[in-house]
Amino acid sequence: MFLALLASLGFGPDSREVSPDTALMQNLLRRDVNSFEQLYDRHSRTVYALVLRILQQAATAEEVVQDVFLQLWRNAAAYDAERGPFVPWLLTLARNRALDNLRLKSERQRRREDQTEQLPPVSSAPEYERELDERRRVEKVRSLMGGLLPQQKRAIELAYFEGLSHSEIADKLKEPLGTVKSWIRNGLLRLKEGLQTAS
Amino acid sequence: MTKGDQFRELIEAYALGALDPEERASLEAHLAEGCAECAKALEEACWLVSQLAFLAPDAEPSDMLRGRLIQTVRAEARAGKSAKASSTIPFWMWGAVAALLIFTIYQSWETARIRIAIEQASKQADLEAAKRAKLEEQFAIAQREAIILTDPRSVKIPMGTGDKEMPKLEAMWHAKLGIVVSGQSVPMPSGNHTLQLWLIQKAKDGKPIPSMTLRPGADGKFMLLVANPPNSMEATKALAITEEPAGGSPQPTTKPIWLGAIS
Repeated sequence: MFLALLASLGFGPDSREVSPDTALMQNLLRRDVNSFEQLYDRHSRTVYALVLRILQQAATAEEVVQDVFLQLWRNAAAYDAERGPFVPWLLTLARNRALDNLRLKSERQRRREDQTEQLPPVSSAPEYERELDERRRVEKVRSLMGGLLPQQKRAIELAYFEGLSHSEIADKLKEPLGTVKSWIRNGLLRLKEGLQTAS
Repeated sequence: MTKGDQFRELIEAYALGALDPEERASLEAHLAEGCAECAKALEEACWLVSQLAFLAPDAEPSDMLRGRLIQTVRAEARAGKSAKASSTIPFWMWGAVAALLIFTIYQSWETARIRIAIEQASKQADLEAAKRAKLEEQFAIAQREAIILTDPRSVKIPMGTGDKEMPKLEAMWHAKLGIVVSGQSVPMPSGNHTLQLWLIQKAKDGKPIPSMTLRPGADGKFMLLVANPPNSMEATKALAITEEPAGGSPQPTTKPIWLGAIS
């Protein structure tokens, strides 16, 4: 079941080719409701899980997920398949929306408002992204992150799921700023190397 | 370490959104300069960061969310189709528009034609009204002349002439309706001259009072009505007619051709 779900995420070896997601997005330009339903069914759980993890409130998370998918429907042209796979683009869009919502109640909104007002930047999947079996990749991501120091993993999660900066993380964890920077950079590089090794 | 190496150490944190404002601004300035290596590194870092989404615990949205979304999307799709359909004008409607245009042009032409006809009819009516007013005025004059001539209260004033070639004229003066001077075979005054009636006052050194002017008709008929004489009959001792330039004169410029004493 879980593997079947992962297989539907568009991270497979052929995800850089004309993937089902790309075809469905192209159909949205023709206002095809059935293609929208398929896109929703393929990715709504992943998007919802991410947004819920960030916002911690089911009702608010559903509102954000609704906004994200309506944006797909209303502005399908914003996604350029030539510049990267769909799923990382969608997840970045969902994360930005969720963090925007989180920041509405926080002074931290001012710090990153420029970044979060924009559409997701292009995420160019490296070669190993296409070669790694998607099931193994997700397991690998969790495994690699689980292998980090707890504080190191915590620092990355605070940055990714809560949108905190290096300084804010250092304050929260009561650790030196340089240490936090190293944890995050080394952790991400380890994840990158791990995914490359897995390919 | 090159400048590019220095910034590449910040790329992953930038993709994660963890850079503090100063570092973020300096990296963005570097990217804006067009560093291709850093741009490429950023693309990969964005992908790498997106993989962190799978750390989130599995969760599933409610069926209600799916229902709301699909309902909204279907409604927008229908609205888009109906808007597109309504923007397409069928052929028969173009025909109707053309017919309406032709009808409008015809109506404009017909309206202009009717307006001109009305204006012409209005002018004709004005002319007829003027004619009628003139006839009524002539009738009133004739009626007044007839009363003056036949009313026994009118005073008859024969107007003799020293010229044997000239016919005699006759004046009838009604105290309330005025004076009528009439005659037959009256010769036409020379040039543009006209005949003018004068009232000769009884008072010593009284100057002749100028009255109406008239040229006889082509048939020699002469009929002059003075509805409001400038002097009363009691204060007038005689009537005189002279030949004067067109329009009359304030004082006689010729000797009287006809003269009639009021007894």
